[in-house]
Amino acid sequence: MNIAVPTLETRRSEALDRFRSIGVPHRRIEEWKYTDLKAALSAEDVAHAGALPWSISALPDGVQMVDLASGKKRAEWVEKNLGMIGGEGVMNAAAFAFAQAGVALRVARNTIVGTPLNLRFTSAGHARVLIILEEGAELTLVEHHEAGEAFRNIGMEVSIGPNAQFTHVRVAEAAHNQIQIETISATLSRDARYCGHYTDLGAKISRVEANLTLAGAGADVQISGVSVLSGDTHADVTTNVDHAVGNTTSTQLFKKLIGGHARGVYQGKVSVRQHADKSNSSQTAKAILLSNRAEADLKPELEIFADDVKCDHGAAVGDLDLESLFYLRSRGLPEDEARALLMRAFVEDAVAQITDEVIRADVWKIVENALASVSEGK
Amino acid sequence: MLEIKDLHVTVGGNEILKGLSLSVNAGEVHAIMGPNGSGKSTLSYVLAGRAGYDITSGTITYMGEDLGALAPEERAAKGVYLAMQYPVEIPGVTTLSFLKAALNAQRRARGDKEVDAITVLRQVREKAKTLNVPEEMLKRALNVGFSGGEKKRLEILQMALFEPALAILDETDSGLDIDALQLVAEGVNALRKPDRAMLVITHYQRLLNYIVPDRVHVLANGKIIAEGGKELAHELEAKGYADIIKDAA
Repeated sequence: MNIAVPTLETRRSEALDRFRSIGVPHRRIEEWKYTDLKAALSAEDVAHAGALPWSISALPDGVQMVDLASGKKRAEWVEKNLGMIGGEGVMNAAAFAFAQAGVALRVARNTIVGTPLNLRFTSAGHARVLIILEEGAELTLVEHHEAGEAFRNIGMEVSIGPNAQFTHVRVAEAAHNQIQIETISATLSRDARYCGHYTDLGAKISRVEANLTLAGAGADVQISGVSVLSGDTHADVTTNVDHAVGNTTSTQLFKKLIGGHARGVYQGKVSVRQHADKSNSSQTAKAILLSNRAEADLKPELEIFADDVKCDHGAAVGDLDLESLFYLRSRGLPEDEARALLMRAFVEDAVAQITDEVIRADVWKIVENALASVSEGK
Repeated sequence: MLEIKDLHVTVGGNEILKGLSLSVNAGEVHAIMGPNGSGKSTLSYVLAGRAGYDITSGTITYMGEDLGALAPEERAAKGVYLAMQYPVEIPGVTTLSFLKAALNAQRRARGDKEVDAITVLRQVREKAKTLNVPEEMLKRALNVGFSGGEKKRLEILQMALFEPALAILDETDSGLDIDALQLVAEGVNALRKPDRAMLVITHYQRLLNYIVPDRVHVLANGKIIAEGGKELAHELEAKGYADIIKDAA
């Protein structure tokens, strides 16, 4: 039996309607409680943001790519899948409705892509990213955001097939003059895995929203992230992990170092649906405030409708440990060096979640540079 | 080398040291003994420069300089070393890279050339062997998951590496079994030399069987109340603090 699926054009116009009816999100919308986008951006700004430029590294064997620029003829698999995952979020709807640019990637069944793909965004505008991993496929994507101006909005949707694995390392440089929004929506089939790591150095407004649905038994989500924020930056990481079926696992580990009068947000919701027994989830979010004017909002949340589950969550906001600082200084390390070392130690376990050594070393370099500037009190 | 005169120190508004005077010459090992709460740890922290330990009056002169005016890292660079009772754990920083960073920070402050990783490793290995610190420990995060004995051995290894002029050992014997204690004491004894002074702070006489002091000072209620040779430690062990404090009063 065929279930009628709306055409791509219909789906797109539905997304447009959705954005038009809700408009630019603001604090009275629960998911946007800590980030008032409406105060910084009008619906007109969103509608006329244009096409976001991107570039990608050489495609390895087994990876198909389609440029989503409007006017180009699209492959059938793109027509069929684009805009199918993650329809809820209003900025995701905007990215779908307005994007004149973007990229679709498909990794064929049982293809293990050994070399990481690098996807780079510069400048401003909307982009759509569609990633399909067929059964048993594996891909590592490094998504790099260069600093830009104005407004950048990305809607990424990922379909992770049975026993497939998607490793997603997102790095966003500090962008004091830019509003950067991204919605990552992924559906995981049986025994599929999503490993996400988000490094964020803050923007005028930065928001990464990850909506991850564990739709098959044995599926596993591991997300982690580091925010190093200085000046008057704002970085919001919002996650929705949905244990739709049982025997699924998710772990989250987010660390934030916040200086200047920056603000760091973690809003994480884990839902375990009815009958999704034997679900395991853990959520940890910690922040260290490096100045009196810095602010952290950490809000882990659990919504459990099944009986036999194991879920824990924790959040903590604190200062650098004075005893450790004294210990290091008593060994001759100047105060700023000692502070940088302790900050590095604080984020270490989150960065360590990146398993690829080369990528991890690259991320460390970026994080360490940021630590140097945050410890100078900028 | 170290001259403390009528030192008064407050911590969180409470006066802990109440007129402590002490003089230590190069080449000497002095023991500070005292019951809990007598001010032993306060003395070690104020010498190393921990924030929150305020000198309200009196002076600490170290090699002719006012020690109280220096930041902890400046004191370290000038040769003051405190082996702590509770070394802190720092995840994410390997022990070896910490040792290199600390050694080079001290050298930089003194205007000496920094040493490269291979030289540091060679020096550390040599000291590690005599203190029975396995190479694998150096690759682990600083003090993370180390046993009490391992932490103390690493404190002494750092002392051997930094070659301080004044070493303060704060309750180095606490939490050690007799074998670990002997090992640590041997490490300390190997570092005794004519141009180095040591201050061994301890509650119990036990450690002083292995590190034999030149002078023993009894600290009670923030003041030195009795002084003597190494035999004073044995007297304390036999009579207990209460009698000595009563005799002094």
